[in-house]
Amino acid sequence: MLMQIPEGTELNQIINLAFFVFIVLMSLYGQRIQMWQWLKQIEGGLAELKRMREESRSTSIETFERYGRPHEEVESDIDRWLDFFTIMPVDLDPAGVLQRLEHLLNERRDRFGEFIAELAPDAQEAERQNLENVLEVTQVLDLIYRIVRHFYILGKRTGSTLIIMQVHMQMPELLRIAKAYYDAQEAFADGKPIGDGVGPLVVTRLAHEYGATAESYVHDVAREVGYYEVKVEGRIVYALRATGPGGTVGKPGFAVKRIIEDNNGKIARIITVDAALKLEGEDLGRISEGIGAAIGDPGPEKHAIEETATQHNVPLEAIVVKQDEAAAIGVMDKKVVDVIPEVIERIKAAIRKRTEPGDRVILAGIGNTIGIGL
Amino acid sequence: MVYMMGIASKFVGLLLSGAGAVILTYGMSKEGDWMLYVVGLFVMSLGLSLLTARRQPTEIHPPPPTVTEIHCDNSECDFREIRDFQRGDYVLKKLPAKCPRCGRPLTIHAIYVTREQAPSTAAS
Repeated sequence: MLMQIPEGTELNQIINLAFFVFIVLMSLYGQRIQMWQWLKQIEGGLAELKRMREESRSTSIETFERYGRPHEEVESDIDRWLDFFTIMPVDLDPAGVLQRLEHLLNERRDRFGEFIAELAPDAQEAERQNLENVLEVTQVLDLIYRIVRHFYILGKRTGSTLIIMQVHMQMPELLRIAKAYYDAQEAFADGKPIGDGVGPLVVTRLAHEYGATAESYVHDVAREVGYYEVKVEGRIVYALRATGPGGTVGKPGFAVKRIIEDNNGKIARIITVDAALKLEGEDLGRISEGIGAAIGDPGPEKHAIEETATQHNVPLEAIVVKQDEAAAIGVMDKKVVDVIPEVIERIKAAIRKRTEPGDRVILAGIGNTIGIGL
Repeated sequence: MVYMMGIASKFVGLLLSGAGAVILTYGMSKEGDWMLYVVGLFVMSLGLSLLTARRQPTEIHPPPPTVTEIHCDNSECDFREIRDFQRGDYVLKKLPAKCPRCGRPLTIHAIYVTREQAPSTAAS
C-alpha cells in the first residue's frame, strides 16, 4: 500500500521507516504498553480507595471523639485497631470446626466490645454497638485499600501481567463494594436504620400489631437477642429479633435453638425473615419466599438453626426482601419500608396455612437492629 | 439530554469511520494519493475513537436526605408528619410531643431515604 507514495522521496523513506519502527515497537513492547495502561487505571482506583479510607478514618475519629477521649488518643488507638485480625480455624480436620469458629467469633466480639468501651467511655450500650459498626466500616475500607495496594506494588515490582490483570479486572467490583461501605458509615455514625434491618423491623411491626410492647420483650434469650411472645390467630408466636436500637445482629441462631429446646421441640414452624442480595435487573424491595434458614452469618448460627430444626423435625421457611449491597448496608430505602406490610401479610398467610391453632411458631427477624427500637 | 448527545456522538463516529474507510480505500488504490491515505487513516481513527469512547463517570452526588416519618399512636387518627432525621431518632421511639389533632402520643414509624434507582434493564 505504501507503494502509492511517490517512490524514492525522503518522505517515502521516513514513512516506511516509521511504519516498520511502529511494527517492531508494538511487537516487542505492546504488552508493556498495555500493562502501563492497566497500572495507570489501577492507580486511579487506588487513589479513590485511599480517599474513601482516609475520610472513613476521619469520620471514625470524629465520631469516637464525642464520647470522652481526646483526639490524639482516639486517633492512635483507632490506627492500632485497624490491623486487628481474626484467624479462621483450621478446616483440614473439619470435625468441630463450627464450635471452634463460634469460640473465635465470641472472643473477637468480646475484644471489640472491650476496645469500644475503652475508647468511648461515655457511650451508652446502644451507642457502643453503633460505634462498633462505625469502626468495622473503617476496617473494611482499610483492608480493601491495603490489599489492592499490595497487589499493585507486587505486580509493578515483578512485572507480572497475571497479577496486574487480575487487579485491573476486579477493580470496578472492589470500588463498588468500597463505595457501599463508605456511604453506609453515615448511617452507622448517626444510628439510622439500615436496609439489613428489614427482618427485625418486620418482626417488631407484626408483634406490635398483636399487642407486644417494649416492656413485653423478653431480653437475652441468647447474646443480644430476645423475643416477644404474641398470639396470632390462635397460634403462639415467638417473634425473635436482636435487641435494638443499637447496631447488632446478636446470635439469633442460638436463640432459635434455645426456644426450641425450652419448648421440648414442640415448635410447628420456624420462619426467618431477612434481607437478601438482589440480582442486577431485579427490583429493590422484591419479596421472595423459600425453604431453609435465611441468615447470612459465617456458619455457626445457621448451623444451630438447621441442626435443631432437623433434630425436632421442625419445618424451616424463609422470606427475604431483595436489596443491593448499597441499600442493605446503607440507610433503609423507602421502597424497603413500603414492602413491610406485604411481608407481614405473607407471614400471616404462612402461619394460617401451614400451622394449626394452638401451635407454637418461631418468627425470627434476622439483621442489624441499628435505629430500630423495641 | 446527555443520553441524546451520546447517541449523536456515536452516529457521528459511525459516519466518520465509514467516510474514513472510503477515503483510505481510495488512497490505497492505484489512482489514489498518499495524502488521501493519511487523511483516510486520520478520519477513520477519529470516527472509531468517537464510537468507542465511554462517558466519564458523572460527578459525585450528595447522599439523599434521611427523613423521619412520625405517626400518631391512635389508630383512628390519620396524623402523619415527615421531617428531617435528627440524631437520636430511632424507629418506635416515643416522642415527647403530642398529636396536634387528638392529643395522643406520637411515635417514629419509619426512617428512610428515597434513592434514585438506575432504570431496570429487566424484561419484566
